[in-house]
Amino acid sequence: MDTFGLNIIASDKIFYEGRCKKLILPSPDGEKGVLPHHENMVIAVTVGTAKVQLAGEDEWKDLAVGSGFAEIVNNRVTLLVDTAERPEDIDVRRAQEQQERAEEQMRQKQSTQEYYHTQASLARAMTRLRVAQNKKWNL
Amino acid sequence: MPNIREIQSRINSVKDTMKITNAMYMISSSKMTQAKKKLQDTEPYFYALQGEISRILRHLPELEHKYFDRREKVPKDQRKIASIVVTADKGLAGAYNHNIEKLEEEILEKPGIHKLFVVGELGRHYFAKRGQEIDTHFKYTVQKPTMHRAREISGVLMEQFEQGELDEIYIVYTRMESSVQSEAEVMRLLPLERSSFNEMKMPLNVYRESIELYPSAEAVLDSIVPNYVTGMIYGCLVQAYASEHNARMMAMKSATDSAKDLIHDLSIAYNRARQAMITQEITEVCAGARAQQK
Repeated sequence: MDTFGLNIIASDKIFYEGRCKKLILPSPDGEKGVLPHHENMVIAVTVGTAKVQLAGEDEWKDLAVGSGFAEIVNNRVTLLVDTAERPEDIDVRRAQEQQERAEEQMRQKQSTQEYYHTQASLARAMTRLRVAQNKKWNL
Repeated sequence: MPNIREIQSRINSVKDTMKITNAMYMISSSKMTQAKKKLQDTEPYFYALQGEISRILRHLPELEHKYFDRREKVPKDQRKIASIVVTADKGLAGAYNHNIEKLEEEILEKPGIHKLFVVGELGRHYFAKRGQEIDTHFKYTVQKPTMHRAREISGVLMEQFEQGELDEIYIVYTRMESSVQSEAEVMRLLPLERSSFNEMKMPLNVYRESIELYPSAEAVLDSIVPNYVTGMIYGCLVQAYASEHNARMMAMKSATDSAKDLIHDLSIAYNRARQAMITQEITEVCAGARAQQK
């Protein structure tokens, strides 16, 4: 099967560099799938779960990604996001605390800006929890 | 000839100071390695981010967007100009803080309504004393820059920019040029400047691939630009953090060195004084003995 080059760059490290078979990205209006030889495109990416099928593997892998964008040029995908995490790197307890904190703040009166902040924080926490859910040993 | 005890106490006090400067040197150098590592980790993200925006702009030169709006209708003296000033939390870092302050003063002299967002305690005191308008809710430290802090800072500024409370946003920070050199620098964050991204000139005969923006150019830019600003702020914070510790390291190293020189000179003076005293005592004893012989 054909593959394409995938380069995931998070703000604190180069998260992944290699070949990939299929990629599904969370975009503002739903999910967007990328297959090899995709048209050149820039896709906005929101906080959510990205799924990848790496070259030589058959199962899907989940990643928790923050907001950013993906650029597809000449069969190469560059995914630039502020955070990217593997399920095994996620601390479920911390994510849960983050969610509770965000929910608590949501109930209080706050400025619009604070509201957006908490909303984004809540979205990140929920994505983390969702991605980490399948790990049996984690909680 | 100064008294021996005076020299002795002087030597001790210099030694104590040297202990402090030496400790600060070590602290700064360990923090510096941390900061450098952080810098290395984030560099790919920034360069990619900058490259991407420049690429999108190259492909869509006719793009109109609120972040490119230069608001030329606003007259020069009515323009609301914000500057994020990144200073250290404390001094003892050579010219590090002064360079930043000097650069910011240059900006303040230009026409317009200035608003300061100061990161770092020292700068906050300095500009408060000069009676500048400082956003008092804007209290962030420069120690250990995190993405979270950058996100908060950019959130505050982006909101005010979108509401028209700010027309231009600059950031004044110190950039690490190499491990020994760093330079204070002003960078414009918003509105985005087309020319600053168009550094790469493409030869005419090269095929320019077209890129589609999904879901729309607007949506893509809406998602990229805030990220870009956050990323740039984070990058600047990391750069400033690294250069602060670099500056402090150098300042403390030279302080320790001059303390050593001072101790060297003082101990020579001390030995001379001690020798002189001993010689004098011997002369006195000899003179006394001779007087008794006669």
